[in-house]
Amino acid sequence: MLAKSLDVVGSEFRVGYRMQKSWGMSMATAFFFGEAGAGLYFVSQFYDLAAGMLLGLLMVIFGKGGGHLLHLGKPSRGWRAFTRVGSSWISRGLWAITLFAAFGALHLLDLQTGLLPRPLSALAAGVAVAGCLVIMVYQGFAMSHSSSITLWSSGLMPLASLTYALLNGVMLTLVIGHDALATSHPEALPMLRMAAVGLVLYGFVMVLSLVHSAKYGSGGGRKSVELLLRGAFSGYFLPVVLVLGFVVSGTMLAFAAKDLATMILVAGCELTGYYAFRVLMFKAGTYDPVLSFAPKFKP
Amino acid sequence: MAKMGMVFDLKACIGCNACVVACKQENSLPDGVFFTRTLSYEHGTYPNTRRTYIPTICNQCEDAPCEKVCPSGATFTREDGIVMVDRDKCIGCSSCAVACPYDMRTMLDKDMFEKGLFGTGELTPFEKQGYERFTPGTSVKCDFCSQRVDAGLDPACVSTCPTNARIFGDLDDPNSAPSKLIRDRDGRQPLPEKGTKPKVYYVD
Repeated sequence: MLAKSLDVVGSEFRVGYRMQKSWGMSMATAFFFGEAGAGLYFVSQFYDLAAGMLLGLLMVIFGKGGGHLLHLGKPSRGWRAFTRVGSSWISRGLWAITLFAAFGALHLLDLQTGLLPRPLSALAAGVAVAGCLVIMVYQGFAMSHSSSITLWSSGLMPLASLTYALLNGVMLTLVIGHDALATSHPEALPMLRMAAVGLVLYGFVMVLSLVHSAKYGSGGGRKSVELLLRGAFSGYFLPVVLVLGFVVSGTMLAFAAKDLATMILVAGCELTGYYAFRVLMFKAGTYDPVLSFAPKFKP
Repeated sequence: MAKMGMVFDLKACIGCNACVVACKQENSLPDGVFFTRTLSYEHGTYPNTRRTYIPTICNQCEDAPCEKVCPSGATFTREDGIVMVDRDKCIGCSSCAVACPYDMRTMLDKDMFEKGLFGTGELTPFEKQGYERFTPGTSVKCDFCSQRVDAGLDPACVSTCPTNARIFGDLDDPNSAPSKLIRDRDGRQPLPEKGTKPKVYYVD
């Protein structure tokens, strides 16, 4: 393990923990829209809820796509990211987004107009859902793929992505489909609320597990956890990600009224917590100092 | 097949930063961009304290995570093991920067090229010719001064080092200077636990 006494260093020529600064708000926003939009589409398609599917599709295309384009240093060359599917999760994600956008739009059009014959209609729906599922998890794989930042390199990261995507999808479906589902699928609302409570509990444990594994992973992981729990980001991580995102939204889901206004409030709390999680995962990402090669430097 | 690598002799490094300046000059690096850094580390308890200088550089990893995550194929490894960036293919996604455990990637910002070395907004002739090799919005890193290696020379930081703290050569050749140093003085790689198989070693 590395020296506990080392500080976070900026651009100084000192040995210490360095913060990652390459992925910031635009990437966090893209990740947020990706997992919220794909989750919404995924849950809505079980109930043929066209409004939810359309909104989910738009969130992925414009929110996620826009966030990524804003982030790229050379957006005009973005197409080159299609070329390395064999090794890069970003390439795989781009293919998933493209397939999801094309076949999701086709499926929605088909739902409204009955344009496609049955086998083709099922194929379009299937490809759209497959793309959607990849979007729900690949961001976690993209983060956990390399070992550079211990906070991210956990195998739990793709599961956290999936959990948040499902939770966001359920919460947004409860809001967007509140009236429509009450008429078309009256049994769906209590089931979705129950699923949401379960996902809130699961997500809460997932985030704590991520923090736990980072703490015992390396010095850099420990520094990240210190920043999240006691340092510069504790004012956001504890009250927003954990309390607002899980405790408040979970408690309201379980005990408050089940009307639309309450659902909007709960979804607002949960999505705020989720956005804060995405931002803080990037902000608190810390590289290990290069000292571990020299055992004599250990404290 | 050659496997170019470098050894840092921590006993020899005096922290003069001549390597840093030579690198900036050789590669015309703009403001705020460093391909090599000499980090200082104070250790021990008063009155028995010491300061050690630890040079850092792109480790030209054999299992380079920056190459694996690159979605456009801009990062690639040459036959001699040097990891390169093709600036015409780089899309500026920064995934290489977050994947590098050694924080040795830099994303070029347009602003870096506008201030000039004197901060007046006017570029010197040296800057004008040097900056042509860069494309703002793309990622850059040390490539062991590949243009010098191709010409049979050592990287600029190695040639400049006044104490021979940087030793460059073919790690596949058991008789090369770096191979001997690694063998004789128990050379260690930085952050071996990250599994990147760096081609840079430290001896102390």
